[in-house]
Amino acid sequence: MDVRAQIVMVFNLDKCIGCHTCSISCKNIWTDRKGAEYAWWNNVETKPGIGFPKQWEDQGKYKGGFAVKNGELKLKLGGKFATLLSMFYQPNMPKLEDYYEPFDFDYSNLYNAAESDDQPVADAISQITGKRMDTISGGPNWDDDLSGSPVYAAEDLNLEDRKIIEEYGKIFMLYLPRICNHCLHAACMASCPSKAIYKRGEDGIVLIDQNVCKGWRFCTSACPYKKVYFNWHTGKSEKCIFCYPRVETGQCNACVQSCVGKIRYVGVLLYDASQVGNALIKPDADLVQAQRALILDPKDRAVQEGARANGVSDAWLKAAISSPVYTLVKEYGLALPLHPEFRTMPMTYYIPPLSPVLASKTGAYELAEHGHGTIPPIETLRVPIGYLSSLFSAGNQEIVSDVLKKLIALRQYMRQQNLGESPDEKVLRDVSLDPEAAARLHRLFAIGGFNERNVIPPQQREEHEPAGRKGGRGFGILVKPKGGI
Amino acid sequence: MLDNFIFIGLPYGALALFLFVLPYRYFSNRLTWTPFSSQFLERKTLYWGAMAWHFGIVTVLLAHLTGFLAPRLVEAIISNQAFFLALENISLGLGLLALFGSVVLLFRRATAERIKAVTRIADWLILLLLIAQAATGVYISVYVRWGYQWYHYTAVPYLYSLLTFHPQIEYVSDFPFFFKLHVAGAFLILGILPFTKLVHLLYLPVGFLKDPQILYRWNFDPKEKQG
Ligand code: SF4
Ligand code: SF4
Repeated sequence: MDVRAQIVMVFNLDKCIGCHTCSISCKNIWTDRKGAEYAWWNNVETKPGIGFPKQWEDQGKYKGGFAVKNGELKLKLGGKFATLLSMFYQPNMPKLEDYYEPFDFDYSNLYNAAESDDQPVADAISQITGKRMDTISGGPNWDDDLSGSPVYAAEDLNLEDRKIIEEYGKIFMLYLPRICNHCLHAACMASCPSKAIYKRGEDGIVLIDQNVCKGWRFCTSACPYKKVYFNWHTGKSEKCIFCYPRVETGQCNACVQSCVGKIRYVGVLLYDASQVGNALIKPDADLVQAQRALILDPKDRAVQEGARANGVSDAWLKAAISSPVYTLVKEYGLALPLHPEFRTMPMTYYIPPLSPVLASKTGAYELAEHGHGTIPPIETLRVPIGYLSSLFSAGNQEIVSDVLKKLIALRQYMRQQNLGESPDEKVLRDVSLDPEAAARLHRLFAIGGFNERNVIPPQQREEHEPAGRKGGRGFGILVKPKGGI
Repeated sequence: MLDNFIFIGLPYGALALFLFVLPYRYFSNRLTWTPFSSQFLERKTLYWGAMAWHFGIVTVLLAHLTGFLAPRLVEAIISNQAFFLALENISLGLGLLALFGSVVLLFRRATAERIKAVTRIADWLILLLLIAQAATGVYISVYVRWGYQWYHYTAVPYLYSLLTFHPQIEYVSDFPFFFKLHVAGAFLILGILPFTKLVHLLYLPVGFLKDPQILYRWNFDPKEKQG
């Protein structure tokens, strides 16, 4: 057992309202720079939809993630030799058009235009060429709310039946906020010839060392989530840094802090690093189970000892014990990894949505009946289970059904309680929950405050390197990271 | 006079720049150490330019280097007449490939709208120098034939004489004008290399080839902490 700590984010999709506040706060802090205008370390996409960049889930096109060949994990991009051969030109690298040409508007024209009969307009100006753009043909959320669109939604790879979005009564929709998953077996890292990408031992945050990065760009295609962005101005790759300067001091990420729906949870997981490789060569249907299995119980003595032996501090152990993430991911198994079949073992998790809470008895969808609860049985839910399991469990419908059943049972139970009826514990027991679990989950989902949703232990780096911390200048890089001279 | 400049002044100047500027840049600002790829912005023309250029120039450069580092080996190889002829022709082909690639790259710099946003003066400078270098190289291999034979009796000993600080330019001073141009170009490129994005060619992915795929870095040594 090789116990390591990882800081993890969970998204409760039922609560995401698709407001993009998270993306904006992230952009304002980190990517409001030349070369990174198009990069959205945090983005929110509408599902069904093609996402950002376009069709990022299509690994036939981008060759992201790993595949199992002869019992071994291999980058879909190819081996080391293939990597060296495609150094000069990479066929699978996403191009600007797969994202969009970043633009600004010429607002000054609104003030300065010569007087005329027409209203002046603010033309779109390309942030790359500085020239006027006649048409804007893409953006970071170009298919926002178009879940019924035959152009966008119908192209979603997770749809088994594309017809479903054409029938007005059957259209469904959910929002999917995405950041870098800070994977345990990151493809971006494995593909980097310069070894510039690394995982921090202390908290598992995956970073690109800008001093070491030589701009070979393999990571941009190897990351199956398309969460490495090539900065065209500096000639190097960049990605979400999990707001490490904030997290290190015990504050939570900007996207979490600003989240309007309060859908995000941040906490510590302990995992067994020695099992990662084994877990990833399992068949698709077993991947979620295998991933859950290597998450360790922080209350277990042996685990605690293993953690201490690996330098996990007491503050971190304490945080792991009260981690909301552990509760959601492992203890009650409600949160699932996004596309586990990409085999990078992502370390952000999603609680699949029930909403819209609509059901069908007759084929047409209507507001669910108020019967035993407001929630219909899961077979009649509007979001197809197949669709959710394609996103969150590599096609294993049982896993998603289990989660949805738990969510439904929880709501039924809490509804009874709130209405003053005597709550039926059997509803919970049927899905292997209990009143204690219900109370904890209810707090986390509905009323838990900021410090309950986010349990972030500070790093206390000064403890580890007191000499190095003393006399520090307190400021960082002073040279411009522009590419080329 | 000109010979002294090309064969003594230029090389030592270039070498000095290379040896002093390169480490300075490495230690002071590695944030600019990148080939500065523009594939993200334009890829159709780049494909023809970059592929042709790189595969052409890498092999040709390696051939030059082998001649320099392992002259005995080259001698042994070219003692076989058929092999020698084949090598000559392949090299010429690769030289033409590199020339074609570099011209395509120049064309791309000049025409692609988005590329202008990332073009600096140094980009023009090195492109023009590289084209000139490839062109003189091709010229030499056509008009001063059998380079495999004379290269290591003339240029190689001359290069070694440079390294031992007893430059003996008589090895090369009788060569035609285009050869001198080629040599001058080579040292010029060596000299400006530390100032430009050409530094990317000094990168050898040795660590990548031998290391595990997943890399952890610790801010402290976990084992030390435990003790
Ligand atoms: S999601 Fe993040 S850690 Fe995982 S492969 Fe992509 S960039 Fe790397
Ligand atoms: S801020 Fe929160 S609710 Fe709004 S889009 Fe982002 S994740 Fe969803």
